[in-house]
Amino acid sequence: MSVIALDRITKTFGNHVAVDALSLEVPKGSIYGFIGPNGSGKTTTIRMIMNILYPDSGTIQIFGKEQTGSRLDQVGYLPEERGLYKKMKVKELIQFYAELKNVPQPGPLADSWLEKFDLTPWANKKVEALSKGMSQKVQFTITVINQPEIIILDEPFSGLDPVNAEIIKEIILELRDKGSTIIFSTHDMAVAEKMCDFIFMIYQGKKVLDGTLKSIQEQFGQDTIRIRTEGGPKALKDIAGIEKMNDFGQMQELRMEQGTDPQEILSVIMKKTRVTSFEITSPSLNDIFIRIARPEKTEHHE
Amino acid sequence: MNKTLILAKREYKAAVRTKGFIIALILLPIFMGGSFAVFVLLKDKVDLNDKKIAVLDHTGEFGPYLNRTAEYHNQNEIFNEEGEKVAPSYFFEMIEVNQNDPNQQRLELSDRVRGKEIHAFVQIGKNVLHPNPNDEQSRIFYYAENAALDNVRGWFNNIINNRIRELRLLELGIEREQVQDLFYWVSAEGMGLVSLDTKTGAVKDARQSSELQSIMVPYILILLMFMMLMMSAVPLLTAVMEEKSERIAEVLLGSVTPTQFMMGKILGSLGVSLTTSAIYVAGGVFMIRRMGMGDIIPYELVPWFFVYMLLNIIMVGSIMAALGSACNDSKDAQSIQFPAMFPIIIPLFVMMPVIMNPLSNFATGISLFPLWTPMLMLLRQATEVTIPTWQPIVGLIGILLFTFLSVWAGGRIFRSAIIMQGKKPKIGTLMRYIVKG
Repeated sequence: MSVIALDRITKTFGNHVAVDALSLEVPKGSIYGFIGPNGSGKTTTIRMIMNILYPDSGTIQIFGKEQTGSRLDQVGYLPEERGLYKKMKVKELIQFYAELKNVPQPGPLADSWLEKFDLTPWANKKVEALSKGMSQKVQFTITVINQPEIIILDEPFSGLDPVNAEIIKEIILELRDKGSTIIFSTHDMAVAEKMCDFIFMIYQGKKVLDGTLKSIQEQFGQDTIRIRTEGGPKALKDIAGIEKMNDFGQMQELRMEQGTDPQEILSVIMKKTRVTSFEITSPSLNDIFIRIARPEKTEHHE
Repeated sequence: MNKTLILAKREYKAAVRTKGFIIALILLPIFMGGSFAVFVLLKDKVDLNDKKIAVLDHTGEFGPYLNRTAEYHNQNEIFNEEGEKVAPSYFFEMIEVNQNDPNQQRLELSDRVRGKEIHAFVQIGKNVLHPNPNDEQSRIFYYAENAALDNVRGWFNNIINNRIRELRLLELGIEREQVQDLFYWVSAEGMGLVSLDTKTGAVKDARQSSELQSIMVPYILILLMFMMLMMSAVPLLTAVMEEKSERIAEVLLGSVTPTQFMMGKILGSLGVSLTTSAIYVAGGVFMIRRMGMGDIIPYELVPWFFVYMLLNIIMVGSIMAALGSACNDSKDAQSIQFPAMFPIIIPLFVMMPVIMNPLSNFATGISLFPLWTPMLMLLRQATEVTIPTWQPIVGLIGILLFTFLSVWAGGRIFRSAIIMQGKKPKIGTLMRYIVKG
């Protein structure tokens, strides 16, 4: 069952089409990753789901109904650029947002979340006294405090150190296990690959990818070789059938031209250098992303 | 609890708990009423230093009279009943007129004034009893350092003209004793209108009309409402702009609709102004009653004051919040603040003509314009004249409609502009938001 269904939604700002006839269905209990270059329309799409922006055309349904403001209590939203009332005390702020979400007993709930994030000593300090990482944890807390059925996170990991990113990741998975549906946008392809049940890529306002990682990779076939050699990247130059080489230092990723036999490539390389590792695989999400959105095309404003 | 009320509660607490609020609560009436208080306190504080005035009397007639009058003044008019000195003594010094070099003589006397030897000097022209226009000798000149505002000049004017008239009457052969009655000034005292007491059916005496009541009561009420607008509705512009630029707005919009957001802020401000004005009104009434002037308090206007004020704050507050939502930074807010405040200040500019003539077409017309009705209709109601009953009612309907319109239009601007970054708040853009929503 889809908890969110977008049907051909379009949004324009002046002459710029930010989102173009976009359709999407998010199944209940899934983690859906939104990827796409900056300015491709991710945030605009998320804002339309949140009813903060209104689509010029198309419909948005949440829980099978055209959404209204009253649905908002079941939806938690962490915007990409987020701020907090600096002069409020931490616990007071969490309670305030909990009250806005109609949480019956905001006090004890705020305490338990503060404990979860090791923020109990800061409960009565003003928000302005918090470090950036702590503020982000507070922001995350106010988004998920009532364990909403849908949680929409715009770049939840940006700016977080690995320890805090790990804590947030664990809580996202925990919330999913408890039945929440999670949508998050990210620029970190590794996170998207590892965490998401479904991946959705938007580019220049249009949907370009939508499905499980496996189904997306299948679209591109097994056209990638991951190789480690003693000769390094120099030994891999000027080989017929190789369209592009991506050098990671210790390892190189080669994209084969269509119809190329990887065995032939292996034998050519073996003549030049000693091969220590050779793997024929599907392209990584990162590679797929770059193939779709070449850097020179990416810098538009949303 | 309703989300709008939760937001309003937060706004109210955030505003009322600050030190700034307490300080403003105390300082605002001090600043606003300060000049009036200083005036009242210093009204009786006069300069008690003795004053010597040199006189160049070209007629040669006034010397003995002036000395006599000064002596009378010094004996009878400078002490109060307790024997305390409450006015300065005056002395005249008659100077022989130098016909050859009058300029030099005036210069020397001016130097004596500068040297504080004398307070002023007066030149009495020789034709003052039978003056001709454009004749310098028909005039009296009073030379002093601050001649225009000098109290002594006023006193001197009185006594010299009394004497001139006396002399003119004596020339006509009228007895001196009759002169005092001739000069007795009977003032027309201002009274309110006589009315019927609806409870007892008796005719109520008209109240004596005073300047204090005619001007000060309306003045204070309007100033109070203006203060409330400045304290609560106008700051919404920067408050909303800050929440937008600090990216708090979008976080909130994850939980509330833009309309709830805007109304929460306005209701919070309303709470602040209600608290403040209730304190001021209660404090003011208490103080005035303690001063024994309870009868000047227009109790019947208190409900009107609060109704007008509430609607005014919602009306102006929604406009300010909408404008704030269209600003990206404090620079935008500063550039928009003055034009936005201008319509609110206009009632203060037209206050005096409206108080002086509350039934004029101008006063009636301008007080029926909804944005100005709360302040100007109240102002007219607070004066001593009776304004037609239909006018406050029509005014109130106008405000209600205009408040509804400004909340509606403000809400449409607000929800469109609150997350738009980088767009300047131009009139065309704002109008488009209103039309397109």
